[in-house]
Amino acid sequence: MRTLKKAEIICAVALLAVAGVGFVEAIRLGSGWGPSGPQAGFFPFWLSVILGLCSVMILVKAIRMDPGLKGDKKPFVTKTQLKPVLAVFLPMAAAVPLIEVIGFYLMSALYLAFFMRWMGRHSWPAVFAISLLFPVATFLILERWFLIPMPKGMFGEYLPF
Amino acid sequence: MEALANLIHGFNIAISPFNLMIAAFGIFLGVIIGVIPGLGGTSGVAILLPLTFTMPTTSAIVFLSCIYWGALFGGAITSILFNIPGEPWSVATMFDGYPMAKQGKAGQALACAFVPGFFSALLSVILFTFFAPPLAKLALRFGPAENFAVLTLAFSTFTGLGGGSPAKTIASACVGFLLASVGLDIVTGRPRLNFGSITLLSGFSFITASIGLFGIGEILLAAEEALEFKGVQGKIGLKDVWVTIRTLGRNFVTWIIGTILGFWIGVMPGTGATPASFMSYGIAKQYSKHPEKFGTGVPEGVIATESAAHAAGIGALLPLITLGIPGSPTAAVILGGLYIWGLQPGPMLFIEQKDFVWGFIASMYIGNVMGVLFCLCMVPVFAAILKVPYAILTPLIVLLSSIGAYAVKNTTLDIWLLLLYGLIGYIFKKLKYPLAPLVIALVLGDMTEEALRQSLILSGGSLTFFLQRPIAAGFLLLTIFLFLLPTIRPLAARVGRTFRAEEAKKAGEG
Repeated sequence: MRTLKKAEIICAVALLAVAGVGFVEAIRLGSGWGPSGPQAGFFPFWLSVILGLCSVMILVKAIRMDPGLKGDKKPFVTKTQLKPVLAVFLPMAAAVPLIEVIGFYLMSALYLAFFMRWMGRHSWPAVFAISLLFPVATFLILERWFLIPMPKGMFGEYLPF
Repeated sequence: MEALANLIHGFNIAISPFNLMIAAFGIFLGVIIGVIPGLGGTSGVAILLPLTFTMPTTSAIVFLSCIYWGALFGGAITSILFNIPGEPWSVATMFDGYPMAKQGKAGQALACAFVPGFFSALLSVILFTFFAPPLAKLALRFGPAENFAVLTLAFSTFTGLGGGSPAKTIASACVGFLLASVGLDIVTGRPRLNFGSITLLSGFSFITASIGLFGIGEILLAAEEALEFKGVQGKIGLKDVWVTIRTLGRNFVTWIIGTILGFWIGVMPGTGATPASFMSYGIAKQYSKHPEKFGTGVPEGVIATESAAHAAGIGALLPLITLGIPGSPTAAVILGGLYIWGLQPGPMLFIEQKDFVWGFIASMYIGNVMGVLFCLCMVPVFAAILKVPYAILTPLIVLLSSIGAYAVKNTTLDIWLLLLYGLIGYIFKKLKYPLAPLVIALVLGDMTEEALRQSLILSGGSLTFFLQRPIAAGFLLLTIFLFLLPTIRPLAARVGRTFRAEEAKKAGEG
């Protein structure tokens, strides 16, 4: 399992990379003084510099984290914690591409049904009731009342939902 | 007295049947959001923001602010009855609220949260009514230099008062600013940081960021603990309210300190109700005659926390409406709403949008009266929400979040981003990076950059420009002080300790 120290280091390096991308882009745009005052890259330039400095500070502190003490051994997430987190995150991540294919309303019915049955072990009638009720209710509220069209996927041409 | 006349005018707008209905609906939804752990006020307001797109602007802000008041009331219910914080600002309510509930005084504990909370909200709204116009008048004289100074002050309060690691706080704000600068350059109109993508030309939406970082992040964090709600039954009788009012009389000092402190912290940009509630609890404990009893179920603990939280919630909207700077993360989302509705936040609102401003101020009185009445009468109804099993509640929150994220720009990219922000929010929270600076920087990014660049254009590129303007220079000095505060504080504490140790030594010798 990853330790807190490693997680801190990875996060700081990622921030440093973000600063680097911003820096390169700012230089390309011009970070100095142009004909109409500060150039487009002026603000991003200084932000990347400050972000870079901060991430180096965080990185140094993380590397210096006392190796013998709890800082090094302390896990970022324990195994018992990671399992339920993934159980929530993975179905969520799987549901997003489904929106493009089958549309938001069908996806929400499937996602709800899956989660209720798999995580909650609810009875089938309850699963059917909730996973039908929610899409119908949101459809009426969003499309009829607030006029917000949700993505309909490939069935959009044939079905209203 | 001009404020009073305006306020009466505002009441005429706020009590129109439609606005009253919207306010009641907002409070109701707000209490539900407050009760549900893992769905905070900030992400709740962001999720429901798209519903306001078709409303008149005054009704829209009444709706969003009432959700905020409702969430401020609702968080206490979960904390007291279930020993789980419904909102981050009701964590300190648990310390004494839950022990009271376990001793069979659940009704009294709830009344101790609602009644003093309501009175401090009321006092704060009165302060708001009379402070806002002069502050707006002062802010009308601000140029770009002053605006930039106020904005940097807003970010320095994060490092000075936030309490987290200064490097992480500044890094978080920088990421927010960088995300804000993606898209078209506000001055020259050049595309930047979009890497050729057309979708990114319109920039990153702060709504998706706040729903993802706060909402989805919190759900992932909550999943670690595998939530199970086992609560104490609670109902408020008339007797509980009466007992509370008598206790309030005895704890008047605790209440008034909580309210004033909360209001002040709320006005300070970026901090909001959560730190206010902790600070007020700490002060009440420190100055109590029986500090050892705190945590075992004393009403003062609940009164101190809740009065500060409610006052801070209202204080947070004061700089928002007068200067265009949000006092808390939730206020930042409301600020974003103002932009979307086509309003220019800031002092000009008091001149150009009188109906909007005063209708909104009047609605704060009405909303808080509604909030306290709803909560006092319907605690069992709201507590029943927590009987909804986890396996239903979690996917429902996720689906509502994705609707909120999608509806901003009608792109599925925002739902993907939501997922990514959720992951970032989870990691940042675990590594103790504060999230509020990121979201607030994303909202205020364009404004900050514009103010800085305009002042530099005016000065011809010289930084001494800021020092020639007394108000701007004052703000900048305060900013520098707040940025240095985390370095000064341990130093001062060390000096204080050696000093005291030496005195003790002398006293021992003598």
